[in-house]
Amino acid sequence: MSTTGHQHEHRPPAPMVEEVSDFEVLEVAVRELCLEKGIFTAQDHRAFTEFAERIGPLPAARLVAKCWLDEEFKRTALAEPIEACKTVGVDWLEPTGFGTPSDFTALHILEDTPTLHHVIVCTLCSCYPRPLLGNSPEWYRTPNYRRRVVRYPRDVLAEFGTYLPADVEIRIEDSNQKHRFMVLPMRPDGTENWSEDELTHIVTRDCLIGVALPKPGVSADVTANRIREAQRGGQ
Amino acid sequence: GADVPRNEHHVHAVGKGDPQVYAGQAPPAEFAVGDAVRVRDVQALFYTRTQEFVRGAVGEIATVAYEAPAAEDEAFDYEALGSPRPEWFYIVRFKMTELWPDYTGEATDTLQTEFPERWIQAV
Repeated sequence: MSTTGHQHEHRPPAPMVEEVSDFEVLEVAVRELCLEKGIFTAQDHRAFTEFAERIGPLPAARLVAKCWLDEEFKRTALAEPIEACKTVGVDWLEPTGFGTPSDFTALHILEDTPTLHHVIVCTLCSCYPRPLLGNSPEWYRTPNYRRRVVRYPRDVLAEFGTYLPADVEIRIEDSNQKHRFMVLPMRPDGTENWSEDELTHIVTRDCLIGVALPKPGVSADVTANRIREAQRGGQ
Repeated sequence: GADVPRNEHHVHAVGKGDPQVYAGQAPPAEFAVGDAVRVRDVQALFYTRTQEFVRGAVGEIATVAYEAPAAEDEAFDYEALGSPRPEWFYIVRFKMTELWPDYTGEATDTLQTEFPERWIQAV
């Protein structure tokens, strides 16, 4: 809440935060000790923060659109995914010169077909292709998703509103080592003659994880708000 | 600088990436795409990346992935352990019904995950 412009009321300025949590106290302690001991510099810390804030799912969505529009590009993207990422502005060697320390530099693009659908997970923690897809969603990191999707994938997908027929093989990809994965979903019907931009808009983060399928007119992940709006006819 | 021990990994991997920095350092790959393999069912103390739910299961090699030190070594300071030789990693494909006897999905459903060579054996 802002209290600017009301100094004549003699109210004390609101504190920046009501309360500092134990986590915040420890975060400052660890960071400042690292700076003091020269483990990393304040500039390093800032550079990594900027990197984490810059990344997002858009480059991956564009990569999918390019694959949909150009069969030859798709073939090379599947064969040389790290190289293909450069066409959408993602250099996996950033920001250190050898990649991020936790995402590594080995990417697989998992191509869906009419009889095969991929879903990614990291059962051991939350490994995710961050340079290409941005930060992982909260639910992707939960023990719940990690525990259940490898055993009851069709039930978990149904909870996401995604139902696949029995003749579609579901393949779970558990990223437990240095490989990171993204799903290349199938181009949906009703997108004939669409431009690269138009196609990019319907490839949401959830489609790239494999818990949703791209659909004309749907350009955002499912949120509680979107479901409410749909149920109430946009009111 | 380059002489600071903790910079060793950065210095040798810069411009190449990880796992690319280990290319060509492993003994020849023991398995090829399509080979049937069983995940070793051995006890791992302190650290492993081989999930409990795949132990003893039979799958087939889907991808001969890359060369790298095993996570079990890397996690405990690879250099301090005398830099054990990198080994080949493989992505292995399992039928869900092989992993979960009570699997309720379709018999064709599969799961893929990755192992260093030490964790798998020929069937």
